[in-house]
Amino acid sequence: MTNPFQDVTSQTLFDAVLDAMLLVDESGRVVLANSVARQLLGYPEEEIIGLEVEALMPQQYRAHHRHYREAFNKNPEKRSMGSRVALVAQARDGKELEVDIGLSPFHAGKRLYTLVTFYIADKRRQSEASLRISEERLRLAKQAAGISVFDFDSKHKTLQCDEQMCRLWGADYIEQLNNKRFSTLIHPEDRTARQSELNRVSDPDSNREYHAEYRVINPADNSIRWVSAVGKMHFENGCPTRLIGIAHDITERKLLENKLQRQRAEAETLFTQQVASQTASAIAHELNQPLAAISAYSEVALHALENDTIDQNSLKRALEGCVKQAQRAGGSLHELMAFLQKGDLIRESLNLNEIVSEAVNIAKSNGYGKFHPVLQLEPDIPYVLGNRTQVLKILVNLLRNSVEAMHDSGMPLSTITITVRTNTNINMAHVTVQDSGPGMDPDTARRIFEPFFSTKPSGIGMGLAISRALAEANGGQLWLDPSSDSGATFHFTLPFAS
Amino acid sequence: MTDITDATVFIVDDEPAIRDSLLLMIEQENIPAIAFESAELFLAACQPEQLGCAIVDVRMPGMDGLQLQNALNDRHIQLPLIFLTGHGDIPMSVRAMKAGAIDFLTKPVTREKLLSSIRSAFMESGKIHTEEVNHHDAQSRLSALTSREKDVMLLAIQGFTNKEIARQLDISHRTVEIHKSKIMHKTGAINLLDMARIAHEGGLSC
Repeated sequence: MTNPFQDVTSQTLFDAVLDAMLLVDESGRVVLANSVARQLLGYPEEEIIGLEVEALMPQQYRAHHRHYREAFNKNPEKRSMGSRVALVAQARDGKELEVDIGLSPFHAGKRLYTLVTFYIADKRRQSEASLRISEERLRLAKQAAGISVFDFDSKHKTLQCDEQMCRLWGADYIEQLNNKRFSTLIHPEDRTARQSELNRVSDPDSNREYHAEYRVINPADNSIRWVSAVGKMHFENGCPTRLIGIAHDITERKLLENKLQRQRAEAETLFTQQVASQTASAIAHELNQPLAAISAYSEVALHALENDTIDQNSLKRALEGCVKQAQRAGGSLHELMAFLQKGDLIRESLNLNEIVSEAVNIAKSNGYGKFHPVLQLEPDIPYVLGNRTQVLKILVNLLRNSVEAMHDSGMPLSTITITVRTNTNINMAHVTVQDSGPGMDPDTARRIFEPFFSTKPSGIGMGLAISRALAEANGGQLWLDPSSDSGATFHFTLPFAS
Repeated sequence: MTDITDATVFIVDDEPAIRDSLLLMIEQENIPAIAFESAELFLAACQPEQLGCAIVDVRMPGMDGLQLQNALNDRHIQLPLIFLTGHGDIPMSVRAMKAGAIDFLTKPVTREKLLSSIRSAFMESGKIHTEEVNHHDAQSRLSALTSREKDVMLLAIQGFTNKEIARQLDISHRTVEIHKSKIMHKTGAINLLDMARIAHEGGLSC
């Protein structure tokens, strides 16, 4: 029987093996390398043959490996065949590979050779399996928590995200959800706020912690979901590179929040309306009685004159009645004003910048509508003297007014600019509240401070009248800028504490 | 019975200036007027046969205008009422008008409106008074009738013939004729139609 393999070279056998193999002589040089090994390590055959095996591992392991190899050569028998050891190999291009190595020493003639097997496939299978398990664990955890993960490459403007996130955006495949599509599906009203948050964390001096809440419009059915995204911006050499974070569907929470805010705003309006209607009713009664008497007395006098039946006594009584009742009406008004201005007006030193920020927060949480505040504060402005609650009320009223005016005109982006500065001409603190709304026509502008004047269907028209009264009660003034050509601009002043 | 020849305007208002100015206005027309500062005081002074009307403020401390209206109705005092109110409260005015008010006026009221309301109220008061007088007259005529005569009268005004009346009451035809002639005599009715009117005004029913 002839050996059918007698013509087969060891190189051919070598190349047929699926694992990478090297044959190394006792001087540690490569004698043979199969094609899998050459491919793995990235060497052409002519380069790898004769190479010292230490050249195939990173610099830091080489010296140690030489000692190890010499010890191994002295006593190769002690190593059982095929036992494996974890090593780090280095490919020709410098890339490091974690590998399991099997060493099989044998003698050919008088020389010792060692067959080195790289168990790459096993290694990969193992790591792939463990990766799969950990990915599955992550997926389950994300699913349970309703969390999606995203990874935004801010250099190349590319976006990577998981299935759950794609579903939120209405995309069936991850490929569908590129960065452009991602942005266009964000609700137009929320785009600016999200972009400015992105700009903020792109500044290396910021805390780099991204948090944005915005609506996403599903293109399939135009349904709207609220998303909360939290992440961290990563930097390289001071340049933002990646934003990695998680997104969370918070629609239910938002709906509940909106409902609560609406109810709170409605309750507040109802209460204000009730107070206003009761106050107005009391004022009306106080004034209507003397007016009714004056009207009757006057008609008596007029009738007497017209009919030449002047009874001096009756005429005198009628006119005296008129005077008395007119004075009574005036007296009632003075009493009413005194009553309204009563109450312990505690004036204290206030940090106007803080009050402005607080008013913005109150206005935002009161459910009047969304707006984008732009604060232009004077950092070292001296303290002003005023009643904290009343100054807050002035600001909140102005903000509410602006938000509602912009909302009513259908503006998608409501920006309100609040400026705090020192007015050196009058030596007072000067606050400006400017909205991006439609402004107002001259007739409205003329009447805007009148009590009970309102352009809003549900308004009672007391907000600006009260605000002006409060500004005056605190020693300042409140007025509408007549020259403003974009939006409505209100100014008010307050005296400094010192 | 008090003197009912003078129709008088009663002003019921807690506000002195309103009472005074309205008194002046009404007296200027030579109409007698008396003012009361509360509904209770007016109720105490008011007589059932009083001619005229009352101008009543809706909102008063103590008994208010609508409560006064109920109290007057309870006492069968049919004095027409004109309500005055500070502000036109529609549900309240509907209630007042349904309970028989003449008018519901808003302060300040013009002379013209007030006097025209007073005139309507006086006409209504006169009508009520005439009805009262006729009622008393008819009642006194009916009171002279025996109960058998009242039975005959009721059947007669329903259109039954003497024969049918006789059969129903189980009396003779001749007796019915005698009862009828006595009824005509006692009530002063000149014919069957007149007899029916007297029975209606006097409140006679079966």
